[in-house]
Amino acid sequence: MSNNNNQKKRVFQIEAFKHKVVVDPKYADKTWKILEHAINEIYNHNASGLSFEELYRNAYNMVLHKFGEKLYSGLVSTMTYHLNETSRCIEAAQGALFLEELNRKWTDHNKALEMIRDILMYMDRTYIPSNRKTPVHELGLNLWRDIVVHSPQIETRLSNTLLELILRERTAEVINRGLMRSIIKMLMDLGPSVYQEQFEKPFLELSAEFYRCESQKFIESCDCGHYLKKAEKRLNEEIERVSNYLDTKSEIRITNVVEKEMIANHMLRLVNMENSGLVSMLLDDKYEDLGRMYSLFRRVPNGLSTVRDVMTSHLRETGKQLVTDPEKVKDPVEFVQCLLNEKDKYDKIINVAFSNDKTFQNALNSSFEFFINLNSRSPEFISLFVDDKLRKGLKGVSEEDVEIALDKVMMLFRYLQEKDVFEKYYKQHLAKRLLSGKTISDDAERSLIVKLKTECGYQFTSKLEGMFTDMKTSQDTMQGFYATHGAELGDSPTLAVQVLTTGSWPTQPIVTCNLPAEMSSLCEKFRSYYLGTHTGRRLTWQTNMGTADLKATFGKGQKHELNVSTCQMCVLMLFNNADRYSYKEIEQATEIPSADLKRCLQSLACVKGKNVLRKDPMSKDISEEDVFFVNDNFTSKLYKIKIGTVVAQKESEPEKQETRQRVEEDRKPQIEAAIVRIMKSRRVLDHNNIITEVTKQLQSRFLANPGEIKKRIESLIEREFLERDGTDRHLYRYLA
Amino acid sequence: MGVQRDIVRFNVGGRIFETTATTLANAGRNSYFGAMFDENWDLIVEDQSKEHFIDRNPDCFSILLDLLRTGEIYLTSNVPEKLLYREALFYGLLDHVRTAKWGSFDGNRLRLSRSVNGRAPGDGTAIRAGPDGGCCVAHGSMVHVYDWMLEEHSPINLDYQRVNDAGWINPDRLVVSACERLGRGDGGMGLFSTSAGELRYKFHVSHENQVKSYTAGALSFSSDYKIYSSCKGRSNEYGIGVWDQNTGQQVDFFYEPPGWSLGDADKLQWLNGTSCLLVSTLFPRKDNCYISLLDFRAKKMVWAWSDIGTPIIDERISDERRVRDAIAMEDTSSICVVNEFEDLGFMDLRSRVGSVRWSSRSRLMKGKMPDEPCYPKLALHEGQLFSSMNDSISVFCGADWVLTSRLRRSYGGSICDFSIGGDRLFALHSEENVFDIWEAPPPPIMSS
Repeated sequence: MSNNNNQKKRVFQIEAFKHKVVVDPKYADKTWKILEHAINEIYNHNASGLSFEELYRNAYNMVLHKFGEKLYSGLVSTMTYHLNETSRCIEAAQGALFLEELNRKWTDHNKALEMIRDILMYMDRTYIPSNRKTPVHELGLNLWRDIVVHSPQIETRLSNTLLELILRERTAEVINRGLMRSIIKMLMDLGPSVYQEQFEKPFLELSAEFYRCESQKFIESCDCGHYLKKAEKRLNEEIERVSNYLDTKSEIRITNVVEKEMIANHMLRLVNMENSGLVSMLLDDKYEDLGRMYSLFRRVPNGLSTVRDVMTSHLRETGKQLVTDPEKVKDPVEFVQCLLNEKDKYDKIINVAFSNDKTFQNALNSSFEFFINLNSRSPEFISLFVDDKLRKGLKGVSEEDVEIALDKVMMLFRYLQEKDVFEKYYKQHLAKRLLSGKTISDDAERSLIVKLKTECGYQFTSKLEGMFTDMKTSQDTMQGFYATHGAELGDSPTLAVQVLTTGSWPTQPIVTCNLPAEMSSLCEKFRSYYLGTHTGRRLTWQTNMGTADLKATFGKGQKHELNVSTCQMCVLMLFNNADRYSYKEIEQATEIPSADLKRCLQSLACVKGKNVLRKDPMSKDISEEDVFFVNDNFTSKLYKIKIGTVVAQKESEPEKQETRQRVEEDRKPQIEAAIVRIMKSRRVLDHNNIITEVTKQLQSRFLANPGEIKKRIESLIEREFLERDGTDRHLYRYLA
Repeated sequence: MGVQRDIVRFNVGGRIFETTATTLANAGRNSYFGAMFDENWDLIVEDQSKEHFIDRNPDCFSILLDLLRTGEIYLTSNVPEKLLYREALFYGLLDHVRTAKWGSFDGNRLRLSRSVNGRAPGDGTAIRAGPDGGCCVAHGSMVHVYDWMLEEHSPINLDYQRVNDAGWINPDRLVVSACERLGRGDGGMGLFSTSAGELRYKFHVSHENQVKSYTAGALSFSSDYKIYSSCKGRSNEYGIGVWDQNTGQQVDFFYEPPGWSLGDADKLQWLNGTSCLLVSTLFPRKDNCYISLLDFRAKKMVWAWSDIGTPIIDERISDERRVRDAIAMEDTSSICVVNEFEDLGFMDLRSRVGSVRWSSRSRLMKGKMPDEPCYPKLALHEGQLFSSMNDSISVFCGADWVLTSRLRRSYGGSICDFSIGGDRLFALHSEENVFDIWEAPPPPIMSS
């Protein structure tokens, strides 16, 4: 534009004052002819006769003498001419030769381009950057792209040929991968957009179509396991294809296509497939299939959550059946063992097949938590299971196995919502084990206590630990007692006293009884010894919890050792003085409450094989008119005989009610304490928030009932710890 | 003949040179020799006595061949520098020459290598070192561009808009910030090609989706390809603008909070370690001095100091306390400031309340200030602190910033600006339009 203006305005010309260096007017044309000729020779594979020095110098001179533009445009038109020729050659290639011809010409062009750039290096370095032109190499690639690749006769043919070859490879034919790689590399060299438009986009579309059909075929004919195997194989093939001859960036795109068509679109159908879907894989522990499902489903959105949901609902269903099965409930040990087996099974599945996925572990845990608490007796049963194991189950088992067994129990314990109920039962069971000397391994007991402590804190186990301390102290006390009084006691009965701290042990109603004279004097001696060493304490005899070993000689000289309870001992000792006693006489002598006495006599006279007493009349039940004798005809194969009072292992219905009630009673102060703690820090809070916070605070011990919390709030209001807000009745206010 | 098979013979302008292919390989593929001996050209002839003719100057060839052999460059008296550069350009060896010409930068080893006279009278605005050893001098509405050979290129002419600052993006791209001209809508910031001296891109500022004209002040570039500039718009749109170097788009704008100054800033400094921008507005542009650190991700001013409220007891003391330049030193988490008597002061960036700890290094300056003083400027380069005062530049080193060298050249009057880059230091004088180039000599011959 500015040139035109200048020419119009220019009316006269000023001659250059200085002599210009006169250049041969045909210089540029001549020089260009030489270079053009050289470029032609290079394209014709005829470069050996060319002089690099001469060509470089000529190109240099053209740029130096301001013929850069001529040189550059000459280059463009010469190269364009040659590429048009090339394009025609490639178009003429028939069938399979097409790709080979394209590849050969591409190699030639690259080599020529490099040589041309060598000669024109000076232009590349000086003329091109300052005139904003495209550098020679890039120019060569652009021209190849526009003239050859985008030629109407080549463009679609190229795409189709590549796609067809891939399709053939998918149907297990062998193709020339080296050629594929070169051609794909060419597209990539021409820029990412050429690769995408020319190849990748149609490739992805075609692949989607291919896998849509194939997956439809497979899903009609295969079971879930087989289908997954095929999908996995296809996926790996595509990944391998990318590594063989495609751009690595395509991997994610093509795998997305396979994942979408083969997995995501059929996800629900696969998981729920009758007789081969997820549930049956879980039932049959098919680790390999499960592992495959996991690794494939994790690739698609919502894949794993689908698997997880089905697993969870299956687990909840089977777990619910298990804990509500009336058969299972009959045997607590079996009940807990079943739970443990179920847990082991799923732990292994998650470990082996689901690569220890945290979300699956959480799903497993929440399922267990869900169904274990469906049965309100679970805490009792778990404690009974532990009791069973610690009484007899761990004999001859190595220390590590004990640890493992206890750890598993702890795992179940963690799922319990009513941990305080477990604590109640555990305390009772532990007391029985300790007092009857039935516990097998002190180490195992203590290790479990430590576990409970780490799980629930110090408060939870302080009383349990107190029980152990009492046992130990009692041993020392007895040793001390016999060391000081042993001599004077002579051949009187051996006494073993366990001094139990009030509060640490589960309390039971005391059954009073009159001890026999020899016993009561012994007990008296112990009492004075104990109170002599420990001032300010009070001893109460828990006769209901004691046992005695009696040596008995029956009428025909049979000698037996009888293991009996304290009450039974009192009754039996009477018979040292007389042969027969009426019920009334026994009741008078022993002062045992009638209900307990009846139970006691029943166990001595009415249990077959253990009837050391005889009664008249011979009936099942004890009546107040009965008369009792020593059973002189008593025989037994065993020397030692344990005469038990009828104590059920499982709790009877009223006992259960009682435990429940005690638990509820214990919860009240805990709920109140939580409410006060919260209100003290928050001052004012509405009802719903109190409920939420209290529940949160207490959930490590039990699940607080909102109704109960409400009652406790009412009670606290009555006692003026809290008040209702004057205006908003939903708000509570803390009163300091 | 058979002993050394890789001998190559050249006939350069009539003189015979012999060298080895190994030596020539040092030239690299992108050179005359690299291309010539590429297998495509099939030039390795059997007859090694055959010479390759090159129609060029043999004296220069001899120097360049020596450069390829040793990596060092020694000019002979009959070869002017410019001639050598031209020949090096022909062979594609210009980068080799540049690397061999001067050593890596060390403030304590600098020698004055050249002084370049400009055409204008004094009073240059700024000098900025380029990444490859070139530089540019801003002067009124012109920016003069010199490449590393100190050849002047076509100047950048902003047509009556005063240039405030300039900064190099790469050896061919320069960002220039300029004043807005009332009523013209010009000014702001532009990207120029240094080889052609042409405007290639204009950076816009928009406020609430409206493109506004603005005055761009100090510039700074960050390592993540952003450009920061202090901006003053017509309708009180003062603050720091941020652009992306690659797209040229404005990506952020930090508005000046009330009672503080950002849009008038004299100096911006990007801190790589903390990804913050140091903004300093100093006397006499403003009556008071404002130094702050901006965190653009958090959109927060994370540190600030000002001398507002410092009681002026007497004029002399207040001059002594007046900060003339500031520079952040990330290694020690501190800011170094300087007063007009070249006393250095330090502020701890870790304490929220900044206070200057002045080191009264010398009071010698007082009483012998020149007639036309230039206020001190600071620069930091690889642990060395530089400060200009009158006609000399001091170099401070070590933890206690001991004065270890002083660069001085009496001609041209006071130094109004200096800049370090491309292993060179450029100092611009104010009375005469002349700038000096200081460079470290190549390492000694006996060094290992």
